[in-house]
Amino acid sequence: MDQAKSQDMKMRRLWGRVRSWLSRPANVILLTFLIVLAALTLYPLLSMLMETFTIHVGREARAAKEAAGTLSLYHFQRLFATSENDYSWIQFYQPFLNTLIVSLSASVIAIMFGGTVAFLVTRTNLKYKKFVSAVFTFPYIMPSWTLALFWEAFFKNVNIGLKTSNGIMAAVFGVYMPEWFVYGAFPIALVLGLHYAPFAYILIGGILRNMDANLEEAATILRASRPRIIWRITLPMVKPAMLSTFLLVFASSMSAYSVPVFLGSPVRYYVLSTKMKSLMDSYPGQAYIIVAVMILFGVGILLLNQKVTNSRKQFTTVTGKSGQISKINLGKANRPVAILLVIILLLVAVVPLITFAMESIIVKAGDYSLSNMTLDFWIGTNLQERLDQGDSTGILLNPKVWNALGYSLGLAVTCAFVAGTCGILVGYGVAKRRGSRFSSWVNSLSFFPYLMPSLAFGAIYLAMSSKIPWLRGFLLLGLVGSVKYLPFASRSGVNAMLQLSGEIEEAAVITGVPWWKRMARIIVPIQKSSFLSGYLLPMVSCMRELSLFVLLVPTSNTILTTMLMQYSEKGWAQFGNAINLLIIIVVLLVNFIVNKLTGASIDKGVGG
Amino acid sequence: MPEIILKNVTKRFGKFVAVDHLNLQILSNSFITLLGPSGCGKTTTLRMITGLETPTEGQISIDGKIVFDSELGVNLPPNKRDVGFLLQNFALWPHMTVYQNIAFGLENLKWSKKRIQERVKELLAMLRIEELEKRYPSELSGGQQQRVAIARTLAPRPKVLFMDEPLSNLDTKLRMEMRTELKRLHRETDATFVYVTHDQLEAMTLSTMVCIMDGGKLQQYAPPLRMYNSPANLFVADFLGNPSMNFVQGHLDQSGLLDFGGMKCQFEPFDAVTLTDQDVVVGIRPEHIFIGDNGAQEATVYSTLPSGMETTVKLNVNGVALNAVEFGDLDYPVDSKVRFSFRKAAVLFNKESGKSIARGKLNLL
Amino acid sequence: MKKFAALVLALIMALCAVHALADVTADVEAGQAMTHDQLVEKALAETGTFVVYGNTSRIATAAEDFAALYNIPYEPSNLKDQEIYTKLRNENGSAAADMVMIQDGAQLADAIDEGLVINFVPASMKDVLSETDQQPALVHQYINKLFIYNNKGDNVPAIKNVWELTAPEMKDNVIFKNPETEKVNMNFLVMCTKPEWADKLAEAYKAWKGEEIDLGSYKNAGYKWVAEFLDNVIFGKSDTSIAEEVSQETAAGKIGLFVLSKLRSSSVLTDNLTVAQYDATANGYTVEPFAGFMYPMYTMVNTKATRPYTAMLFIEYLMTQDGFKPWGKSIGAYSPNPAITVNDGDLTIDVWKNTLVMEDADYILENFEVEDFILQHCQK
Repeated sequence: MDQAKSQDMKMRRLWGRVRSWLSRPANVILLTFLIVLAALTLYPLLSMLMETFTIHVGREARAAKEAAGTLSLYHFQRLFATSENDYSWIQFYQPFLNTLIVSLSASVIAIMFGGTVAFLVTRTNLKYKKFVSAVFTFPYIMPSWTLALFWEAFFKNVNIGLKTSNGIMAAVFGVYMPEWFVYGAFPIALVLGLHYAPFAYILIGGILRNMDANLEEAATILRASRPRIIWRITLPMVKPAMLSTFLLVFASSMSAYSVPVFLGSPVRYYVLSTKMKSLMDSYPGQAYIIVAVMILFGVGILLLNQKVTNSRKQFTTVTGKSGQISKINLGKANRPVAILLVIILLLVAVVPLITFAMESIIVKAGDYSLSNMTLDFWIGTNLQERLDQGDSTGILLNPKVWNALGYSLGLAVTCAFVAGTCGILVGYGVAKRRGSRFSSWVNSLSFFPYLMPSLAFGAIYLAMSSKIPWLRGFLLLGLVGSVKYLPFASRSGVNAMLQLSGEIEEAAVITGVPWWKRMARIIVPIQKSSFLSGYLLPMVSCMRELSLFVLLVPTSNTILTTMLMQYSEKGWAQFGNAINLLIIIVVLLVNFIVNKLTGASIDKGVGG
Repeated sequence: MPEIILKNVTKRFGKFVAVDHLNLQILSNSFITLLGPSGCGKTTTLRMITGLETPTEGQISIDGKIVFDSELGVNLPPNKRDVGFLLQNFALWPHMTVYQNIAFGLENLKWSKKRIQERVKELLAMLRIEELEKRYPSELSGGQQQRVAIARTLAPRPKVLFMDEPLSNLDTKLRMEMRTELKRLHRETDATFVYVTHDQLEAMTLSTMVCIMDGGKLQQYAPPLRMYNSPANLFVADFLGNPSMNFVQGHLDQSGLLDFGGMKCQFEPFDAVTLTDQDVVVGIRPEHIFIGDNGAQEATVYSTLPSGMETTVKLNVNGVALNAVEFGDLDYPVDSKVRFSFRKAAVLFNKESGKSIARGKLNLL
Repeated sequence: MKKFAALVLALIMALCAVHALADVTADVEAGQAMTHDQLVEKALAETGTFVVYGNTSRIATAAEDFAALYNIPYEPSNLKDQEIYTKLRNENGSAAADMVMIQDGAQLADAIDEGLVINFVPASMKDVLSETDQQPALVHQYINKLFIYNNKGDNVPAIKNVWELTAPEMKDNVIFKNPETEKVNMNFLVMCTKPEWADKLAEAYKAWKGEEIDLGSYKNAGYKWVAEFLDNVIFGKSDTSIAEEVSQETAAGKIGLFVLSKLRSSSVLTDNLTVAQYDATANGYTVEPFAGFMYPMYTMVNTKATRPYTAMLFIEYLMTQDGFKPWGKSIGAYSPNPAITVNDGDLTIDVWKNTLVMEDADYILENFEVEDFILQHCQK
């Protein structure tokens, strides 16, 4: 009797504790996200790891001489320890080394370029700042391979690569660039570095902008020279931002597929992602091992990142009188530096657009005479008869293109909405329960999708969806996109929430305002622009995403990027270029409108 | 020998004039305070002397050397001016230990390792923070951070030490303690201290000279007690003192007959000045109103605010409010009648210009 | 954490309520015996969108005509062959394909074994097509990739023997798609090592060099040719871009191995290109021992099809003159249906079958390890 009573008491006490724990909205949010994210990220990860031990039907079963479905270490042995025909070297070690080289260099380039520009813009009296900061995010908005295509088209010549034709540099200026400059590790790293430099610009620029100017002034007074201040004070201060950039750029570069294909394959330069793709169809087990290796690397850098930012050197950015900060006078160097920067930006951000426009109106490749130009690929009719090429109308008259544009936009908006909203909630939960293990789990889980290569992520979701009858079409694409881009949104959500002092909400708690009202009426309005930025980045990324969706779209005409890929595959380059331009213009337009209406911008989205 | 001289220094941010034709001489070994409400231009002035801010016009020289001159085009960078600067928010470098923070400036001067070590130890001892040597700033309390910041600033033995509200981030008790420390440091280091604050108490207690600024203009530059007793204008009079000076509008004639707040007084100036017929503002320090049964004038008690050591009594005289401060704890019932008289001094200001006319004794008639 | 894991698992299980699928094997068997009218009747009784996957763009046009003919809602999808297999493996329900048109016989054989797709031969074709074009999978058409060279300049690589491509002076002058990115190319290289072709290559070597081939460490002449060929090759992005690049004025001395049908593309400067086999035919010689390679394009019914009869009707349609129309307009596509003749200016399928390396799925399946050897020579 007594025992039952005490048992009852115990239960009641436990229930009471659970109830009080659950009465905090932050706990409920974290618990929900922990479960949902575990299902949406850990489950795919585990199922993928299972694949690395499973013998698949067909080619694998025959090669392994084992029944399909058996669990075995065959794939590991084959990928890591097969010396016959240099198999492991060719399929894994060499591409692995290349991947490391390319990703490391891309990260360094992104950090150096983006960081330098961020420094120039925030800390000096550089000219044309407005233009620089407006155009700097362009390369990120454009799909990364557009820059790769442009690079090849611009610099190729008859001495290198396919050795068949001259690009603009050789044809117009008579300059023949050497092969290492146009194909292989250098251009791949450079293009990826330039593409991701906006991350560095945004993250490092954010710190530089918010960093207490007094820290540098104190050093100035103590007679430190300019270089010494940058080296000993400024750089260590932006080190966490540099590491974050490193993590983002390294992980993205590692899984980048199109850029290495375009700039690597003519000189037989292979990286892990290209190997993964070609292994995926006949030897999926080995392909998933490569994915696992990539993720492992990402996690390694993530841990390193956390270790550095959690050390006792951690600082809180006290914003001093930075309004009064004196900008470094670049003096005579100002104009040359500014002009150089403008030229570089024009080259990487504006000239490619012009090139795409050009390529979308010429009929025969390489012939830029007026007689070879036509607007037919945009607004022509009856093209199939006349040109025996692609669809019969120009893209602007093609209902398929408009449908795809609508679908792409709808998908991007949906993903942005879901990811962005979840990002805010994650941000709220993580910030409120900061320091608890629970909160750091959710935080890490929400970042995890970033480390999964898009292609593999798509493949895993396709496999998952085969077991869930209702997960189809738009729902599936929306889910994948939302999960994949959650990291952007949750980062900006966490940052925005951390900036918000807890008292603001507490004031409302005391007067008994319910949680949803506090969010809707107090927290969201205050951080409106930060949150909107958290929506913008998933939206932009989604609009130009290909690898993630390629396996999941119901048909290839569903979204613009798969349509674009199909057109380029089929050799309808003009249509491809026109659609590419259309995507970029739409993204820029959306970005511009949102920015003008709400003040949100991609910059804020990365959490600067 | 004058150590720092500012001539016609002006700083404009766009159309906004932050500092307007400022002339100032700072003697060596003095402890001067730039005092004023926020936005008065005091921090800008300090930053211009250090070189962190470039003046729009004027000339600045330190120790006989011109460090800035808009016409000659001279502008020495901060690190060439041989000054120390203690910043408001300490600005300790979070990624360096206490030792590294203090040693940084000495490394810049290319001191030998051994000398640096000795000097840092000396400073750690001087500021009584020896045990913090290996800590990072995030592991220090506010007061400890302050001491480290001071040690870092003092390390290269600057001849001039600038401080921008260095105590404003500390709590009251610590602030008291650090004030004492600063005054002691001034003695020990033999350097010129230039101190920016908006806290008049700090200015009064610490400095040898106070420079009060408002709206970018110099209001008065004098030793603190002189400034307290003989404010140059209404602004200075109002800014110094807590509770602040009583101001009552009135009229003065050539004979010194003063009519204010329904009271008639004979004004006896301390110095020989010719009085003219004019509208004036009479400034009376609260401690110069003496409440006692022998007082010449009657007043109604509006409220009494005892604080233990002293009591502020708010009086109503013919509709004019006057604050009086009496020593000790007194308590008058509200609306009771008391008598008072004026003692020591009052200051007359011209009503229109606000400038001081004369200081003297008020005899109630 | 354990509790969470259990919860998550339960959640997933609930979501994955497995959904029994009707198999279409019986339907296809029945369909093989049906007349055209019976198929039409059955097809029109089916509901939902008719979904088609193909790795050629022209299937969309065919599907459009077909759908218009019978007033059936349709959705064509153009995918790379690997993607088609991945999707077949993982998709089911109404969104999945009903019918696929696909290349790479080796992978297809696996897909048939796996039960992903099922072969359907329309009754009308049973007596018309040869056995090899019906089994194990119905061939809709053959596609050829040929040696095609730039005819500008004074070093025109008008090859008469494929060993010429292995000569030092041809280094970096041969352009081919990376065999890793499209399996039919890999299949071709594997086929070269088949004893039958290896022997022919050995003979051709003798004809070219005038001496017996010295195999060194190579297993046969096929291996030697593949290795030395790949050493001279530069990999292009796609057949289209290879065609475009080789056709450039500046590309004198270049030779490509790509799909003949790319010559139809308006972005290719066709006048600058010469097909080695055409030149040989015109001048009465042969390219020893082959002028390129050929592979079949198959049509199959998805075993998870929701409109199996529509799929069968469509396959039947594709095998007719009308159904072949989208391909019938230009060169480079060859129907096994003798009623459908080749285009003007093209050679007949029989000529091609004798001059090209034909894909042999069985050999490729049995000798998949040759791919490792080929990969080794795809390195720098």
